Amino acid sequence: MLAKALAAGAIGLALGVAASGSILADPPFGAVTIGPWRVAAKAGSLEADPYTRAALARSGEIPLALGEGLKMVARVDSAGRPLDRRCLYRVGAHTPASRYWTLSLTDAEGYPVDNAASRYGFRSSEILRDGDGGFSVYVSALAHSGNWLPIGHVQTFALALRLYDTPLAASAGGIEKSSVPTIEREGCA
Amino acid sequence: MSWSARLGGAALFVAAVAATAALVHFAVVLLVPVVAAHDAYARLAELGPPGTTAALPRAGPGEKRFPWNDPALAASVCRFDLSAGPARVTAPVGRAGFASLSFHTRHGAVFYALTDRAATHGRMEAVIVTPAQLRTLVAHDDEDNPSQDLRIVSPTVEGFVIMRAFSELPSLYAAAADEVQAMACATEPPTP
Repeated sequence: MLAKALAAGAIGLALGVAASGSILADPPFGAVTIGPWRVAAKAGSLEADPYTRAALARSGEIPLALGEGLKMVARVDSAGRPLDRRCLYRVGAHTPASRYWTLSLTDAEGYPVDNAASRYGFRSSEILRDGDGGFSVYVSALAHSGNWLPIGHVQTFALALRLYDTPLAASAGGIEKSSVPTIEREGCA
Repeated sequence: MSWSARLGGAALFVAAVAATAALVHFAVVLLVPVVAAHDAYARLAELGPPGTTAALPRAGPGEKRFPWNDPALAASVCRFDLSAGPARVTAPVGRAGFASLSFHTRHGAVFYALTDRAATHGRMEAVIVTPAQLRTLVAHDDEDNPSQDLRIVSPTVEGFVIMRAFSELPSLYAAAADEVQAMACATEPPTP
């Protein structure tokens, strides 16, 4: 009986710790999904939930304040498929209103990925646009014409869109799906 | 032992495992922010002592301390410790491009932020205080000549201020880095 209780305790302890580790890698609450993007607008605020707070303490991230801007992270394309380094993606063509925005590529933990072009992201103020003001960023491991964002030497990657000085900050839940960039998979090797 | 008793024992065992796992999980979630030895504050402490401005490393493939930093932005940090008095933060701004200050508790949560749109006389400025220091300051305020200071109450005695500056082009990153390096933060002289 005692042996069984101890065994239950030990297994429970191991399960609890293991589950906490994987849950804190991607906290379940406090984020909304808009198309392929996840937005945790309140992640850095005093009102953040315990899961989000624990995840922040563990990752060491310095969150953006709502008044500064919003960070959106995509780990899937617009069809919901996980981003795959063997594929070519077109990200565009518009973003929600903001003074500036950046689109960058990171590894799963949020760090830029080494690549031969030393290109880690694009700014709204430097990007090539088409005739009507829209943009296309091509995300692929192989070089591409136009705004090419290289995937670099990494297996799993994420895309981060940051909107600086945006009126949306106060109501991240109200962002229209039609206003965020789409991530279209154009083909895979 | 009968078949049903054995099943009941197994169910009890599974329930005990699940209950223990759930308890451990909640304890871990609540304790992580308290015991995390390598949170943002600890990582920032490696950059310099409190009361001084230190540049944050630029986001890049070799930099593995501050995740989700934007390579287009330069950033600097000043850790504050209000136990010796309020801290005044001054950040001159005068570049094309976005700049901001965010005020964080010891645990990283933001309790205030302002951008270059709120700058007056070419600078963003604020005084960080504890609730007790705010009461003292208000008690000493001259009613005819009120203080122009923006006073921000910090929920924790220790914390940090981050200044960020957006570079419109890669070639303008150095100017943004210079701007964030010019942030000053110093303990205020005691109120007479």
